[in-house]
Amino acid sequence: MLGIGLAAGAFGIRFGVGYDRIGPRFFPFLVSLGLVVVGSWLAVAAMRSGRARPAAVEPSEVAIPTDWRTNWTGLGYLSLALLLNLLLLERAGFVIASTALFWLVARAFGSRRPARDAVVAVLLSVLVYQAFTRGLGLTLPSGVIERLL
Amino acid sequence: MESFSLLLRGFSVALLPWNLLWAFVGVVLGTVVGILPGIGPALTVALLLPVTYDLEPVSAFIMFAGIYSGAMYGGSTTSILMNTPGESGSMITALEGHEMARAGRASAALATAAIGSFVAGTIGTVGLTLAAPLLARVALTFGPAEYFALMVLGFSTISAVLGETPIRGLVSLFFGLALGLVGIDLQTGEARFTLGLPQLLDGIDVVVVVVGLFAVGETLHVVSRPHHASFITKVRGWTWMTRADWSRSWKPWLRGTVLGFPVGALPTGGVVIPTFLSYWLERRLSKNPEEFGRGAIEGVAGPEAANNAAAAGVLVPLLTLGLPTSATAAILLAAFQQYNLQPGPLLFVTNPSLVWGLIASLYIGNLALLLLNLPLAPLWARLLEIPQPLLYGGILVFATVGTYSLNSSVFDVGLMSVIGVVGYFMRRFDVPVAPAIIGMILGPLAEQQFRRALAISQGEMSVFLTRPLSATVLALAVLVLVIPSLLRLLRARAAHQGRP
Repeated sequence: MLGIGLAAGAFGIRFGVGYDRIGPRFFPFLVSLGLVVVGSWLAVAAMRSGRARPAAVEPSEVAIPTDWRTNWTGLGYLSLALLLNLLLLERAGFVIASTALFWLVARAFGSRRPARDAVVAVLLSVLVYQAFTRGLGLTLPSGVIERLL
Repeated sequence: MESFSLLLRGFSVALLPWNLLWAFVGVVLGTVVGILPGIGPALTVALLLPVTYDLEPVSAFIMFAGIYSGAMYGGSTTSILMNTPGESGSMITALEGHEMARAGRASAALATAAIGSFVAGTIGTVGLTLAAPLLARVALTFGPAEYFALMVLGFSTISAVLGETPIRGLVSLFFGLALGLVGIDLQTGEARFTLGLPQLLDGIDVVVVVVGLFAVGETLHVVSRPHHASFITKVRGWTWMTRADWSRSWKPWLRGTVLGFPVGALPTGGVVIPTFLSYWLERRLSKNPEEFGRGAIEGVAGPEAANNAAAAGVLVPLLTLGLPTSATAAILLAAFQQYNLQPGPLLFVTNPSLVWGLIASLYIGNLALLLLNLPLAPLWARLLEIPQPLLYGGILVFATVGTYSLNSSVFDVGLMSVIGVVGYFMRRFDVPVAPAIIGMILGPLAEQQFRRALAISQGEMSVFLTRPLSATVLALAVLVLVIPSLLRLLRARAAHQGRP
């Protein structure tokens, strides 16, 4: 709880102070002000409840299974997937990028069948590329593979 | 009976084979995304925005309307079979519906949900047909001050209602408002909040934000939680609703409708509250309240009806005032903007075939959904067997496609990822996402009305307070935010004094 509020609060303040000078000012100023107020309010509220909680908790309430464990491996894989997607998209083309994205996301979710995932990834990427570029006339970045299709 | 003839004209638009096809695509797509956990109607419509750019506005909106109502039907299926709501309006349905499913009565629960949705959706649409033109006529007299006040009311109720606490809703709202400010100011051409990045001059596209918050944020959130297998209750056999089920269902359907539509139509909106209200009401009225929590059919029939009636209600302020009260409605507003249309009273005058075609397609969509969902529910339920890794892999691939194809820019995809991380933290810390989206879309409009009102009054701030309607509405907006905290304070004090 504590970290939450602080993060949100700091986030609000950083957003707020920097830019309120610019442009037709009034509305941005209002919004920045709001962000600061609301952000710090949440931070204060979070700190209070963070501090108040240990005292207030009844023994019976402790048993409530709020699982705060974080699956870091999953998050790691997923971040890698998103980052790689950005890097590959225009360099290697859509099919390669989204195959990689799909496969890594599947890993992030703890899939134990990498071969199946890879097959589905390739099929889906090619299919989506075909459908969207040929069928709907959108542009998706093309690389080596796309030129062969 | 002017609206009746207009409605008939609407049907003549909606029944064109081409538009019927789009309505069908919409309801099927809506059912699918409603059933699949992780994708909702807001995300789907957002992803479709770049795709539908070349489509006739009428056809596009008929499809969106199908998605909108289809997701409501689909959401209940997931609630009942998996106990994880596919969509926020069907949270309550999970309570009783899943218990019924576990007791082997899944098909009866699905049936009462589908028929209740149909009854409520249809009556709700009738309500929309009658109420919308009236409200549009009233709204014609509104000036910028009134619009601004209404938007502020919308902001405050949305933040107060959607979050666990108003403060969380407000954080989300202001985040959205800030995002909405990015880009060139329309009235002066001044660049604001662009951090010197040329890619931000045009502002941040709504699609990027919605996809970031809903698709990327949601995926991060689901991944970050420790794994636990979810059970899908099989639809065993096909036991139709019994006579007792019918007689226990029809009243909750109607009560849910009566509750859902007005609450949805108020600019306080959202579809979640009426479902809570309806559940509470059915439990109070039930002759055997001890069944609640163990699979009472009333607890499925009422909230499902309320949910669908409210969904129709939400369209009233959206179409007549341009005021969205749910995330999906906000995306629909963005869709209007894509076609350079501004929902509001004038839309009824300038583009009646669009408005009435849309309304007529809601009737058709509801009927199609009933036919699709009743016999085919077990088939739809198979969608739930898609393995989670593949499902989310697919969601992110489509997220990339939708975002990239907006402007063919990797920058947008990056921005989507960053906003996704923000969305993850919001989710993690119980900050609701919907106010951010509404704030982002409505914020610039509110600013415009605000400045227009000031221009008319020649800079006199008091214009918002001297016009009776705008003053009342603004006062309401403040009250909505203050009352819950006041109540809590009073209750805390009472509890404090009660303790020795």
